[in-house]
Parts: sequence; C-alpha cells; structure tokens
Amino acid sequence: MRSPGSWGLTLSTAAPLLVVAAGTIVAAKAGLSNIGQEGQLLLGCAAAAFIGTRADVPAPLVITLSFLGAMVLSGLWAGLAALMKFTRKVPEVMSTLLLGFVAAQITTFGLTKKWLLLATKNTSRVNNGQQLPDRAKMPTFTLFGNQVSWGVIIALVVTVVISFVLGRTTIGFRLRMLGLNARTARRAGVSAAVVGGGALIASGAAAGLAGGLWMTGGSAGDRFTSNVSSNIGWQGLLVALLARDRASLAIPMAFVFAALRTGSSFLAATGVDRRITDVVQAMLVLALLVPPAIAAVQRRRRGTEGAS
Amino acid sequence: MTIALDGVAASAATPSVLLSGITKRYGSVVACDGVDLALHPGRIHGVLGENGAGKSTLMKILIGLIQPDEGSIAVNGDAVRIGDPVAASNLGIAMVHQHYSLVEPLTVWENVVLGERARLNREQACTRVAALSDRYGLGVDPLARVSDLTAGQRQRVEIIKCLRREPRIIVFDEPTSVLTPAESEHLFSVLRVVVVDEGRTVALVSHKLDEILHATDEITIMRGGRVVGRSRTSEATASGLAQAVVGRPVSLRSEAAALGLIETVAATISDDDASDAVPRAAAAEAAPVVLEVRNATVLDVDGHALLDDFSITVRAGEIVGLAGVEGNGQRALADMLSSLADLRSGEVLVDGAVVDLGRPGALRRAGIGIIPEDRHDSGCVLDLSVAENLVLTDLHAVSGRGLLDRRAIDRRAAELMLAFEIQARSSAAPMRSLSGGNQQRVVLARELSARPKVLIAAQPTRGLDVGAIEYMSARLRAAAESGVGILLISTELEEVLTLSHRICVIHAGRIVGEMTHHDADLERLGLLIGGVAA
Repeated sequence: MRSPGSWGLTLSTAAPLLVVAAGTIVAAKAGLSNIGQEGQLLLGCAAAAFIGTRADVPAPLVITLSFLGAMVLSGLWAGLAALMKFTRKVPEVMSTLLLGFVAAQITTFGLTKKWLLLATKNTSRVNNGQQLPDRAKMPTFTLFGNQVSWGVIIALVVTVVISFVLGRTTIGFRLRMLGLNARTARRAGVSAAVVGGGALIASGAAAGLAGGLWMTGGSAGDRFTSNVSSNIGWQGLLVALLARDRASLAIPMAFVFAALRTGSSFLAATGVDRRITDVVQAMLVLALLVPPAIAAVQRRRRGTEGAS
Repeated sequence: MTIALDGVAASAATPSVLLSGITKRYGSVVACDGVDLALHPGRIHGVLGENGAGKSTLMKILIGLIQPDEGSIAVNGDAVRIGDPVAASNLGIAMVHQHYSLVEPLTVWENVVLGERARLNREQACTRVAALSDRYGLGVDPLARVSDLTAGQRQRVEIIKCLRREPRIIVFDEPTSVLTPAESEHLFSVLRVVVVDEGRTVALVSHKLDEILHATDEITIMRGGRVVGRSRTSEATASGLAQAVVGRPVSLRSEAAALGLIETVAATISDDDASDAVPRAAAAEAAPVVLEVRNATVLDVDGHALLDDFSITVRAGEIVGLAGVEGNGQRALADMLSSLADLRSGEVLVDGAVVDLGRPGALRRAGIGIIPEDRHDSGCVLDLSVAENLVLTDLHAVSGRGLLDRRAIDRRAAELMLAFEIQARSSAAPMRSLSGGNQQRVVLARELSARPKVLIAAQPTRGLDVGAIEYMSARLRAAAESGVGILLISTELEEVLTLSHRICVIHAGRIVGEMTHHDADLERLGLLIGGVAA
C-alpha cells in the first residue's frame, strides 16, 4: 500500500502536536508560559534536516542523531529565554514569542547558504532545502491497513514519561510547587532559576523533538522549506491550552486537532473552502475555553463577596 | 441572652438606623441570621464579636456593598433599600474601612477630593480639609503626601474623607487594628466630639473588648451570625461580655489576650512568678543563643530601608515577642528569615554559624521553621493536597531515588493530622478547602515536625477564632518548653505580653527597646511602639 491511509495520516500528524503540547505542559506546570513553540519547532525541523541530509550513517542512527540535534538546538533556544528571565527578569511570554521570529529569520538565512540548508544540487526552485535521503525518514508500521509513523509511539512514550515525572517524582513535585506558589517553593528550597529554567528548556526541547518528528514523518514533505512548520507549533500550544495542562487530556486533543488538519484537504476536495476547518478549529477552542473562563470569573466574584 | 436589655431600643426616639431581621446566606453558611440592630443619634454603638461572627457582613449590608436575603432597613423611620454605596451615601451613611483606600503618591487634599465630579479647586479643598481637621482636632496637613504619613494619620485622612460629606451615620470597621494605644485614644476622643457635639450616629465594629467597653454607649454582641446580647455599656462587665462573645466562661489568659483584654493581661503580669504560663525566664538566660540577626539591613525596591541595622537574639527555649505597629519592618524580617528577601548588609547566625542567605531554602535547612504572616503567600500551596502541604519542605523523608513514596506521604499526613488535630475530609483534600485555623495547623505541624532550632511565628493567630488562638498559644509554649527558640512577631500587644519571656519593640525597621516579661511596663511599651524613645 503506497498511501498511508487517512487514519495513518491523522495519527502521524497527531504525534508532533502531542509532543509540543506535552512540552508546553511542563513549562505551564512550573508557572511559565512558553509560547514560542512555532519557532522552536522550526529550528528543530532545521536541525533534523541538516543532520538528516549530512550524516552518512545507517538509518536508525541518523534519525536518532537528527532528533538529538533538534532537541539540543531548540532547548538552547528556549534556554535563551530562560537566561533572560532569570538574570534580567525579561518576561518569558515576550522572549519566547519574539525569539520565534528570530528563529524564522535564521532558518531563512540558512536556506540561502549551501553549507547550511540550501540544496546543493541545482533545483528549479529557490530557497529549497536539500532533499532528505530515505534513511533519514521515520519508518512506519501497518495498523489496520494504515501506514502509521513510529513517531506516534515516540510521542505517546514522551507524554507518559512527562506525566509520570510531573506526578510521581520529587523533581516534578518541586516543579509544580514552583508553579503554584513560587514564594513557598523558594522557602522550601526550590531554585526558580534551576527548576523553572530547566522546565523552559525541556519545553523547548520537546518542541524541537516535535520538529524532528514532523520533518522526518513525511507529512511535511521531503525537504526543509521556510514554512515547513506550518503552524504545528501554534496548534500544539492550543492542544495544551484545551487539555488544560493535563497530559492525559492532551492525547485525545492532539488527535482531534490532527483530524481537523488532515481532514481539511478532504473537505477541499469536496468543494468546501478549506479555511472552514480553521473556523471549526477556532470555534472548538472558543467552545472549550469560554465556559470555564466564565465559571472562573463567577467563582471569583462569589469569592470576594463571600469574604467578609 | 442574659444581658439582653429591651429598654435601650424602647427608650429612645426614632432610631437613625433600624435593621430588622437581616439574614444573609452564602450557600450553607449563614453569615447573618435574623439580626436586629438599632443605632441612635448621639450615641456610639459598639458591635462586638469574634472574627467571622457576622459583624462585617452586617455593616456591608448597611452601606450597600452586600444585599441581604431577608430583612428590612429603615433610616430615620423610613423603609429604604440600599442598593449600592452611592445610595447609602445619599442617605447619609458612610463607613471608614479597616483597610484604607488612599493613593499614596498623592497629597492629602488630592485624596480627599478624589472621585468628585466638580471642578478641582485646590485652595477651597485645602481650606475645607484644614477646617475639618481643626474642628475635630485631627492635626492633618492638607498638603502632606500620604506616603509620608503614619498609619494613624492615614486613618485621620480617611475620617476626613468620610466627614467631608457630612454623613449622619458613620460606621468604623475595626478602626484600631493598625493604631498605637495613644492613637486609639485620640480616635475615641474624636468619636466623642462627632457624637456628643454634633449628634451624629456612630457604629464601632470591633473584636476588642477593651475598646468597646471604653468607647461606646451601648453594645450589641454577635456570635455565629446572630445577636446574642445587647447591653448599655455602663451596665456591662468585661467578663460578662467575654462570656457572651465566646459562648462560654472565659478564664484562660490566652483567651483574654485574644479578646483584647489588655488590662486583664497586664494585671496578671505582676503576680506571675508562680504561674506556669511564662516559665523559666531565668533559666532561659543561660541557654545558648540559637538565632542571632546582626545588623541586618533590608531595602525595598525603591531603596527605602525596611530593616535598618536590625539586631536581635533568641535563646533556646525562649519566646521573644517582637511588638510593634504593622508596617514597621516585621514583614521584611519574616521574609528575610524565609530566604525571600535579600540582605543589603548584616548576617544571620543559626546556632552560631553564619547562614548563606542567597540559596533558596538555606535558612530552613539551617533549622529555622516559620509560620508566615500570610500563610497563603509563603506558608502553603492551596492547590496541593493537605498531605502534600505537610511534606513540601521535606521531600527527602518521603521519597527514594527521586520518586515520591505516596504511602510514606499518606502515613506522615495521618500522623500529623492526628497529632495536631487537623480537621479535613481526608489527607487528599485540597488545602484550599480547609478553614483558616486548620490551614494554620497544617503549617504549624509541618514546621514543628521538622524539629527546628528556631521557630518564627509571624502574626500566628491573625484571623483565627478563640479556640484556634488558644491552641496556637499552647503549642508555641510547648515548643519553647522543649527547647525551641521562638520569635513571636505580633502586632497584638496582648499576645506579645501573654506569651513572651522577653519583649522587643520594632519601629521603623529598628529595635527601639527591650524589656523582660517581668519588667514589662504598659506605658513605656506604648510609647516605644509609637516611636517615642523612652
């Protein structure tokens, strides 16, 4: 079977969304808002593409190396935001977001240089990355007649591990304590710079890994381009938002978003404008976020009135 | 109740305010339950009760901040509905709140006219403020900047804001909580003028028995949302009122302290030598110093000194009371001892060893336990469970190889909840769902179970009911008996007097005086607290 099948495609798209969301949850639990996933993911894609096209080693190793490279680069990128936050008190909301634009510029620059990302063989198209060799592509397995990327398994494992670390380990406990009450945490010996900075770096690394999964998974095409990330980072952020920072809820959410995303091309084929799926996605976000927000406001009103 | 006195309501002409059958529920909690209250012109009416007795709710209903579920309000005999504070203001009702609402960078007159719609006229406003200040002897300079004023002066600005509209009915909500004894005296003399010379109506809401006895003409006592007693002040006795407030006879000194019976507390000081309440003061003098703060200076973000060359020592087994009016550096001291504020200069020694304050949690590791002034701010994590809150400073004991041991956490929680009588649905209940007293017990249990060398207790009984206050006092005494050095930071002079072996007074970030429990002299203490060197 040559086509992955629609379920296969959806699952393979859900993988990077889920990994981005899981990383976002780590930062959110530490009380930090990483909103630069799109840029971090793009850098992850770039690193994976760079290593994938250059490393002349066997298949499993080249993929492992691309993923590691993607995680390191994106983790360092988020680390810049952490550095600014904990040495100069720059709000991470600003720095992660703005660093995303810088990341986009850097990768665009990379696409102009053959020693970086630009295709070395002459192609008709400009600003195109080198084509990924087959050994640098994620293998698939067959599930009920669908070709599913192994990335799905990686994403699930990452999510489960993150969930376990947050819930069952001392470092996860300290991280949550920092997020819920930074002053109590500090008194209890939690260093905001170490734990919070670590959480931000981890969330960046997760976005990088998601970039690696996306780059090598097939849905993104076979080469790096400047718009290869195509909102996976933003949508992963939405997944975390809608899952209300619970890893277990992020799994079905990622699937729903992936289904909307992959389904849009099918819709387009039937004559419906594909932008309709964006509308549906936005409606979904609003429907899930507005009621809890209203409830929270009502609770707060009652709270202040009740305190006498 | 026994001291009910129907004559009060019947004897006078039309009351200026008559609240009848006021009921207010919050879910299953009844804040006010069929409360009747009559305020008469020319009298100061004291509304007495513990925290949570429903006094504040009742007064908020009177000024239109809260709508009652049942009951009616009549002003000067006419039934009215007070929908919001503007309606109350139009009816001539005003309130001086416990927490001031002044804009600090502005001057006094600017604060007074704030919110007026008419054109600003500086001259006129200043004259107005000066005239009011003179009439009541408030001594407020209209051109002074509010940030430069003391708590007492700020309150007088609030009073001017309130009197400027010539209200007929004025409610004072816990007006003395941030005042020195002398400032309180002054406030009550102003109230006298307002009431006697001008025939206004004043309601004085307080949980302090002394000031109710001292400053009012008639008293309504509330407990659990109900009126449990009414009396003329001239016919009331401290013990009778205390019994009505608490609902049972009061004997313990800690209770007396909780109710603000400063004279009762002071009276017991002299015949204290045989008492077990303040033990071994002499023995403590020989005990080793467990906490020493040397020349500590802490600055706020603007570079003002919160603690200014501050030094204090605490010996093992000793309770040192740090008295002072709120806002004189107590919070900075507690923050500094929780690794939450940086020292500009000076050092902290625990058991003779200098502690490196820069590292988070360094002081806790060195053996300092702390009950913070605001437990929600730095004492507990409201969204974690009771069990998790009980272990959050000591994860090593309940984990192995970086993994949390759920069973060990639950076991620890069960032990501590039993030992410290913490009432909660279960150890898995969120901290948020507990009452203030039980949250405070969780903090106390965690800090004491860590076997500290020093325990810092900052306003440990604030906002607690009498039972919880008694419990807290007993625990602090027991901890001192077992050799823990205790630094009690409190703005309640009564509490400091009852518990401490040694009393230090903080003013403007410095220690301005020190005395042992036996030499405690109320007058000198009052002067020191007010910043007058004595």
